[in-house]
Amino acid sequence: MLRRLTPLIIQSRTIKHTVDIKWVRPEYIPAYKAERSGDLEALPPIPETALGQAYALSEEIKDAPEAVKKIFSVGHLGKKEYNILVKSHFISKVRRHQYDESTAETRIARLTGHIRCLQDTMENDPKNVIAKKTVQELIDKRKKLLKFLRQYDYKKFEWLLEKLNIEYKAHPDTYNKLSRKESLRKLTEMHCDNIKNKKLDDYRTLLESQQGPFLTEKLEALKFIRSEQIDLQLPITVTEQDIKKVEEQLKEWTIKDEIKQQAKKKKRNILLETE
Amino acid sequence: MARNIADNVRKLLLLGQCVPTVKQNAAKIRVKRLELDENLLMYFRKDEFYYCSDPDKVCKTGDIVLIEALPQKLTKLITHQVKEVVYPFGDITDPVTGKKVAKEKYREDIEKQSELYGKLESAFNYKKAPPRGWQDGKKDFTSKPTYTKFHVFDENDPYAI
Repeated sequence: MLRRLTPLIIQSRTIKHTVDIKWVRPEYIPAYKAERSGDLEALPPIPETALGQAYALSEEIKDAPEAVKKIFSVGHLGKKEYNILVKSHFISKVRRHQYDESTAETRIARLTGHIRCLQDTMENDPKNVIAKKTVQELIDKRKKLLKFLRQYDYKKFEWLLEKLNIEYKAHPDTYNKLSRKESLRKLTEMHCDNIKNKKLDDYRTLLESQQGPFLTEKLEALKFIRSEQIDLQLPITVTEQDIKKVEEQLKEWTIKDEIKQQAKKKKRNILLETE
Repeated sequence: MARNIADNVRKLLLLGQCVPTVKQNAAKIRVKRLELDENLLMYFRKDEFYYCSDPDKVCKTGDIVLIEALPQKLTKLITHQVKEVVYPFGDITDPVTGKKVAKEKYREDIEKQSELYGKLESAFNYKKAPPRGWQDGKKDFTSKPTYTKFHVFDENDPYAI
């Protein structure tokens, strides 16, 4: 009730807030880019003079003249042949046996090769809509396969990430659209948390600094009470164990305090050096 | 009566799955349950989340674990503790034969198949493989929940998408 009425009574729209939180909208990165898809490296170093995959098998080309080799090289045959070489390069990294084509790791490797080729295409020609669509689909498919592999064979999943140099990030709970209001809300929350934690830390250090003097006072008082009780032959309420306990606490505190002081000195020195 | 029994059993032991969380020294466990909708007379899935104290970090994201209620609440949030990891995620052992399994096949059989075809050096070796977690925070970002990137901070958080 009160919450509903307050904005009616108090005008908040015209009030200038003292907390200035600057929100910077994160720059839009297309999904095909390497930083979004999780590819940590570009195309493998395959020279343009490398022979096309099918032609490299032939016996005659081995002692053929340079001009013939040039005709059957990837640079001359075109991008399609080059991409086949890229895919086979990635597959050969993780292949189980010679005829392995359809296991999860080879499928992921092939997709990775294809994705990196298409990413290269998109770099050169950002308006290629067909390539954009295809690479998006392939990235999604690879992520799905990685998700399944993670579920049934975690060790292999990790090994594959290392071999192919890919990053895997789990899906977030919700894919909500970025909005100014929500971002500002989150930032304000973080700001409030920071203030709260800082105040709590300050209070903690204050209390801890008071612990030492209090413990020494307590120790003296306990010793005095015990000696008095012995002198006056009264029932002894303070045992030696109590005194020992306090002594141990004091020891612990002094060790902790020394460490803190040293850290403070180091910080001061670093600050002085930077100035 | 029945509700009382259910409540008491809930305090004894629960089976759930570990989900990513930012909390330290605690695991977030999801317990799946079915709830009857009396109007439709149909069961619908209902998740319950429990925060369990786990100082030794026994369970990792995705593990199926047994949890039990603490005699006293540790904090306002942490009410349970992890008792045992039943099935580690992605490293399943067949309970009948005691062999390791990948999907619907035994790992032994997969190895045998690739050996028959002629195993290559590039193939994955289960014996040399380190235990799970060596890529955590490097290339595998699954131990904490990911979120949509909402601000440009000085430090880049890998969990922001």
